[in-house]
Amino acid sequence: MAKRITVVISQGQSAHPEKRNLEEALVGGLLMERGVELTVIPHLYDLSPNSTGMLCLESIAGDMIVLSWLYPRAAHWTLDRNGIKGHFGQTLLRSDAADEDDQDDQDEAERAEQDERDEQDHDEKDRVGGRNLPNRTIYHLQLSAQNRAEPFLAEIKRIIAETSVETVGLMGWIKGDPKPEQLARYLDPGGQNGNGSSNGASRAPLLPLGEGRDEGALSESPHPNPLSKGEGTAQVSLPELTRIAETPARRWYPVIDYSRCTNCMECIDFCLFGVYGVDGAETILVEQPDNCRKGCPACSRVCPENAIIFPQHKSPAIAGSPDENAGGLKIDLSQLFGAPNAIEIAAIERDVELVAVGRDAVGLSVGIPKRQSGKQQAPKDELDSLMDQLDDLGL
Amino acid sequence: MKGELVFMMGKFEARFPTDRKYAKNHMWAQPQGGGYRFGLAAYAVRLLQDVYFLDWIIDAGATLREKQEIGSIESSKAESALYAPIAGRLTEFNDALLSDPSTINVDLYGGGWMFAIEGPGEGLLSPEEYLIHLEAAWKVAERTIKGQMNE
Repeated sequence: MAKRITVVISQGQSAHPEKRNLEEALVGGLLMERGVELTVIPHLYDLSPNSTGMLCLESIAGDMIVLSWLYPRAAHWTLDRNGIKGHFGQTLLRSDAADEDDQDDQDEAERAEQDERDEQDHDEKDRVGGRNLPNRTIYHLQLSAQNRAEPFLAEIKRIIAETSVETVGLMGWIKGDPKPEQLARYLDPGGQNGNGSSNGASRAPLLPLGEGRDEGALSESPHPNPLSKGEGTAQVSLPELTRIAETPARRWYPVIDYSRCTNCMECIDFCLFGVYGVDGAETILVEQPDNCRKGCPACSRVCPENAIIFPQHKSPAIAGSPDENAGGLKIDLSQLFGAPNAIEIAAIERDVELVAVGRDAVGLSVGIPKRQSGKQQAPKDELDSLMDQLDDLGL
Repeated sequence: MKGELVFMMGKFEARFPTDRKYAKNHMWAQPQGGGYRFGLAAYAVRLLQDVYFLDWIIDAGATLREKQEIGSIESSKAESALYAPIAGRLTEFNDALLSDPSTINVDLYGGGWMFAIEGPGEGLLSPEEYLIHLEAAWKVAERTIKGQMNE
């Protein structure tokens, strides 16, 4: 029996027609794709744990392809925090921008290898890592990477092929333009379900909404019929489309990338708003996300492993860009001219937020990482990495 | 019928009601309590055209410096950060704009208000002063637009 894969489209916050058109072009394209379940949700970062959208994602078993207006790391760990876990799938999708200013002609496979080597390099350190990962893979495609649907659809096809090796025979058979009855049999081999929407049944239990989970109250307007089935269900051969129509309030909170986090606790020492906590096993977690101060990314600057992501921040490095040196190839010399360093910026940002709620500014006196005293242990900064890159070029 | 001033942006008539003040960053300011309610003036809306996305990086209640970055806007023609027009305490945002920012285009001097700030707003301009400011601003904008189009 063919393994079905779920494709999730997380819509952007922007009403920009180009963005909406891309989302809808993907929905349209995927409705023609066999072996796919399609779910459309609002911007996934804004979803609270007990939202319909999140509950819907929780109910999905098996491999998943998530398309969102977020960096893959940001999307992956946002889901992980909500208990939607899996192994991080390697995607070969390249971004338009990378093609344009094609400074490095390394191809993507090579880059993935490099990533793997890097991973091994810095895994002399003890990472928290993903925990209790089920045996499934979640692939993340970044919608801002391309402005046409075709590259995404091609990549989705590739991933489907990659994840369903055992069904190659079946897929080969189905490529021969089968008759509708054949397809019906293929999609519903038990034959219990005459209209072919056998998957609808497994979806049903997700409707009752859980109440009062660990996160603060979010003004989510209860939706009378949040799951509306799209036109796609009418035809036997086509995948099921689930649309979650809710309009979550905008949120702002940190997301921890546990593949980088070393549980060093610098963030919990630094943040004075009670966002961070530890679980039963003394592992750091974002305990009170909605205590976070909107727009403040200070803890992310303090993190020595660059493991804290603010997906909505305008700086790619903070928003979860996979590229360590996001921000281009030019050397930023502003530090030479007296710009504050990351820790100083973080302290200033924190002071602004403290003063905003009527508390005293603390400057660099509270929760500043120990490493500032022992300069030896300072993490690599941008310039260090740049120098390393130059070294690697072997000039 | 309220009075208004008109500024010609090329062939486009940008209209500015005279019942309120204006900030140099092309927001209108209508007195309200101990401060002002702000929205984008016709000049800014004409340059932006259709507004698709609005986001704030501060919460209501925050104390602002003048020109502090407070959010961002995206439209069919442009993307820009938004800055505080005056110093003071930001008391409320027009949350309705987050889900439907097009109100800024449809009803810019009414339902398109963006936020309210409590503060004296000494630097705000009268409509007449704002129009003088626009004369200079428009020349720069024209050059910028032409410059970018020639690239």
